[in-house]
Amino acid sequence: MSEVIVITSGKGGVGKTTTTANVGTGLAQLNKKVVLIDTDIGLRNLDVVMGLENRIVYNLVDVIEGNCRIKQALIKDKKYPNLALLPSAQTRDKSAVSPEQMKKLTDELREEFDYILLDCPAGIEQGFQNAIAGADRAVVVTTPEVSAIRDADRIIGLLEANEIKKIQLIVNRLRMDMVKRGDMMTVEDVCEILSINLIGVVPDDEQIVISTNQGEPLVGSDAMAGRAFSNICKRIAGEDVPFLDLQKKSGVFARLAGLFK
Amino acid sequence: MSQPVIIKSNKYGINLILDPVLPFEELLGCILDKFLGSEKFFQNAHVAISFAGRELSDEEEYRIIDTISQNTSIHIICVIDNDEIREQYTKQKVEQYLAAESENTGKFYKGTLRSGQVLECETSIIIIGDVNPGAKIISIGNIVILGALKGIAYAGASGNEGCFVVALDMNPVQIKIGSIIGRSEDKGILASIRERKRVAAEPQIATVSDGHILIEPITKNTFNNI
Repeated sequence: MSEVIVITSGKGGVGKTTTTANVGTGLAQLNKKVVLIDTDIGLRNLDVVMGLENRIVYNLVDVIEGNCRIKQALIKDKKYPNLALLPSAQTRDKSAVSPEQMKKLTDELREEFDYILLDCPAGIEQGFQNAIAGADRAVVVTTPEVSAIRDADRIIGLLEANEIKKIQLIVNRLRMDMVKRGDMMTVEDVCEILSINLIGVVPDDEQIVISTNQGEPLVGSDAMAGRAFSNICKRIAGEDVPFLDLQKKSGVFARLAGLFK
Repeated sequence: MSQPVIIKSNKYGINLILDPVLPFEELLGCILDKFLGSEKFFQNAHVAISFAGRELSDEEEYRIIDTISQNTSIHIICVIDNDEIREQYTKQKVEQYLAAESENTGKFYKGTLRSGQVLECETSIIIIGDVNPGAKIISIGNIVILGALKGIAYAGASGNEGCFVVALDMNPVQIKIGSIIGRSEDKGILASIRERKRVAAEPQIATVSDGHILIEPITKNTFNNI
């Protein structure tokens, strides 16, 4: 049973693309067959985060317009042969593709892959409509800020109106130190406002910036954000995994302190 | 008057403004010309018609309508008297009826209204769910929210200031009842979350009192006063 999952947020810059790259790679680590589709036509960047930009020959619009076969446009990941990327076009815009065409494409990909992840563009216009057209379920990414949460709420309303019933939440870039000082909303606060199921909390982690710049997703590594993404993947695949204790310090002193506990 | 016949549209249909002195036969010709000229625009339209600018006898009115019906595809449904007092009276009666009816009838809506969603209702409404920030609910009658009101509620939308808004957790951005608007105090999201954690939510009611929106806890006496 393959699933089409759209990763969306409404607001830009909250971590949709990073999440798509890490969740996709994480699901591949669980031996699932995964394809990532960058639906942000005109602002292509998932390929950069995946470190696959130099392999692009054909793109999403080429497939839709019949300039090539799907197989020709799919780029195999550097590490995981069961992970593929369908890059976006950089020279066109959102109107190059229609929701019906996207639905047809995702339905064709279902035959070969377990998970089809759609990296949604910011906004609620045609790019968003294209991305959600073929989706069975949605992962909404937000940061603990009012602006991101307000946009996420709007997006959830639109997803519900489009009959996407399974909607789950990732709270990204949480800073425990700020939460403790009372300067940032807690995960509970965010969940109370949005009232949908939480599927993961990713701490703010400079390792993410480093991994993005290197074009190597962090998932599976020992960094806090990497572990958080691994857990999210397991939960998406249906496993019941407890949430990470983000309070835990991982420095030398914390480890020493742990010895005496 | 520069033109013997002017066609104006109003909310019921069209209003014909006629030259007061031109002989009737000549005027009739002008009316026909005018309608033939704009026939494409009015094609197959169903309109109510009213006359202004000239006293017409019943026979003259009949002849004008007959001429229009015979020569164009416009369907004239009725003739409306152009009487302001009567119009005011009719309007008042209709609105009174709507207001009374809207307070006595209600609808249910189950689900949470999210940012960008607007729910409009001709009767009173009971919402089972939350009204989130950025969402809006408009009712001709009363609004009862079995959940949190965090967005905008507009009760008595046809102008009835006797309407009320009830919510289990009253935290609106704005409340409007009739023509009176109340808004929330200026504070950040963190401050309001902190305050809500400190004080347990209790059901509250918003009504109009002395030209202001008044929000108070619901007690046994509350409903005796509405």
